Amino acid sequence: MQALPLITKCLKSAGAVWIAVAGLYVVSSLISPAMFQVGQVLNILQVASFLGVIALGQTVVILSGGIDLSQAGMVTLTNIVATSLMLGQTENMVFAVAVCLVLALLIGAVNGILVAVIGITPLIATLGSNAILFGVALVYTGGAPRGAAAEAFMVLGTGSLFGVPAPTLIWVLLAAVMVLLLRGTVYGRWLYATGANARAARLMGVPVERVLIAAYALSALLACMGGLLLTAYIGNPSLGIGNQFMLTAVAAVVVGGAALTGGVGGIMATVGGAIFITLLSSFTNIIRVSTGTQFVIQGVIIVLSVLAYRKLSQAR
Amino acid sequence: MIITTHHLNRRGLLKAGAGMATLTLLGGRAFAQEGVTLTPVGAMVKGTTKPGPYRIAFANGFSGNSWRAMAIAALQAEAAKTPDIAEFVVVDGQGDINKQVNDIEGLINQQFDAILIIGNSGSAVAPIVKQATDEGIVTAPFNLPIDGEDWSTYVGTDPQKKGATLGKWLSDALGGKGKIVALGGLPGNSYTAAGWAGAQEAMSKDIEVLAFKDAFWEEDRAKVVMADLIAAYPEIDGVWCDGAQNATGAMKALLDAGRPLVPVTGDDYNGLLKLFKAEKANHPKFDIGLMSEPTWQGIFAMRAAVSLLKGEEVPKQQILSPAMITAANYETYLRPNLPDGVFTDNSLTDEELAAIFKA
Repeated sequence: MQALPLITKCLKSAGAVWIAVAGLYVVSSLISPAMFQVGQVLNILQVASFLGVIALGQTVVILSGGIDLSQAGMVTLTNIVATSLMLGQTENMVFAVAVCLVLALLIGAVNGILVAVIGITPLIATLGSNAILFGVALVYTGGAPRGAAAEAFMVLGTGSLFGVPAPTLIWVLLAAVMVLLLRGTVYGRWLYATGANARAARLMGVPVERVLIAAYALSALLACMGGLLLTAYIGNPSLGIGNQFMLTAVAAVVVGGAALTGGVGGIMATVGGAIFITLLSSFTNIIRVSTGTQFVIQGVIIVLSVLAYRKLSQAR
Repeated sequence: MIITTHHLNRRGLLKAGAGMATLTLLGGRAFAQEGVTLTPVGAMVKGTTKPGPYRIAFANGFSGNSWRAMAIAALQAEAAKTPDIAEFVVVDGQGDINKQVNDIEGLINQQFDAILIIGNSGSAVAPIVKQATDEGIVTAPFNLPIDGEDWSTYVGTDPQKKGATLGKWLSDALGGKGKIVALGGLPGNSYTAAGWAGAQEAMSKDIEVLAFKDAFWEEDRAKVVMADLIAAYPEIDGVWCDGAQNATGAMKALLDAGRPLVPVTGDDYNGLLKLFKAEKANHPKFDIGLMSEPTWQGIFAMRAAVSLLKGEEVPKQQILSPAMITAANYETYLRPNLPDGVFTDNSLTDEELAAIFKA
């Protein structure tokens, strides 16, 4: 009977979303036995990795009390820049990845400055950045993207170790790093404090501006990494590749239980949220539901989960 | 193999009036616009003569993919070659229905002589196009149709017929029976809807359609959707697509899953041709049946607009029968040194394509 309090404690810190993940998996396996296959579970984990990595960044920003809608543009720009610099050659790999990461840090820092120093609402600032990033990608390619990922690079997106897909391993690694950052460092405590109440945090001596700038830089960096993983998976440039992540990244964080007002949420919960959303999408693909119905189901789930979390937090 | 340059080719043919078939017989690279059949549909329409040279505008609904970039380049090249055209301007609707309506309003105010259009929504732009036509501007929609008849002349393929031809090809490639999946484009778009409706009628009764999913004409989305379908259905004998970005993504998903590649349909996207060349030796069942969605169709809309401005007659609609690309002739279309995003049935030279794609 010692197990029960332990399990409850784990669930509380990891997020109730994991019950939903397990529940959805059971339900979908009953309706479609194809979900039981190991290959399908691995496939879902592989596809969830891209959303998962991007959502890690979104978690940081939402915890700070903001939102980052420029992740989609960042993913697209990363994909375009990486493929056009790599041009399929292994020797260009490191350079291409380095350029993308540096670009992401700069763009994230700019986002952070717009929000923290200049004082523009995060929704507006990042929405503007998103448009700019997509515009830059469009101007850079003239509408006609070129380039390709190197074969060696594509191992990161399509390869596997002991049967586990490479993107999933990278996602788990990044999630572990983020958990350490948020739970084990001063920065993590400052982030939660800023998100819960920025004024109080400032009075306590938290360097709020720097915390926010770092948060947006992290978000852009993780969006870039998600873009690089996606590039490794597909191998080709595409101007539309980031669009699907703009709001699904936010949805993954919200479904995981984070409050949009800040200060509440966690990395493990977002991981669960990303898996949940991907599982739902995969399940609706398998049961041949039309795209319209798919959107409706996803929207309903998001609204229900926000309501459920509000009830849960009131019950505490 | 005789390599003919773009300019020589056209003038030579016009002078000689030789059959268009000569070009493909010579085994040269296919400049398909030379070999095209344009079927006139509907009554002839006559324009009011206006003094040249003319100012022409193109209200493009959306510019964010390589098909549109190539279409614009083809139009610009044609405008540069036509002495009757003094000015050619492109306006980008950014995928926004309202913005495109505003764009067209602006073009009307700037008193352009003719407006070419690819509409984001056939119904939403119909009123503003009607207004332009009523004010004496020649309106020439192409590629995607506009509702009603209040435009001057239309050029395009017939997606229902294309879908039917592709469906029949797939059905024949499978010997009349098998299980297929179908991948469409943006959810709810009328081009896919018409194509898939045509395909379903044309396929044999013993072809079982396992699923139809929207894949956004994006390789990455198609790959993910196909991976789910692969998990759900252990046997997939063929794939119907209207756009070959979907086909390429689907084939890559099959490769990743270690399954054999199967007959697939689509359009003239270079990426699929490259994949076919690379993989056909390893996968004996892999086969392609493609109908191009020509990026040069706007040229015919532009020529029709200029004819109307000169007071000549043109058909109300001109329907293109695009080139059919199969394993037999795909190498004349394949561009191994150009990016996947090139639509290979085009009127541009390799130098012009390289300039667009900066390859």
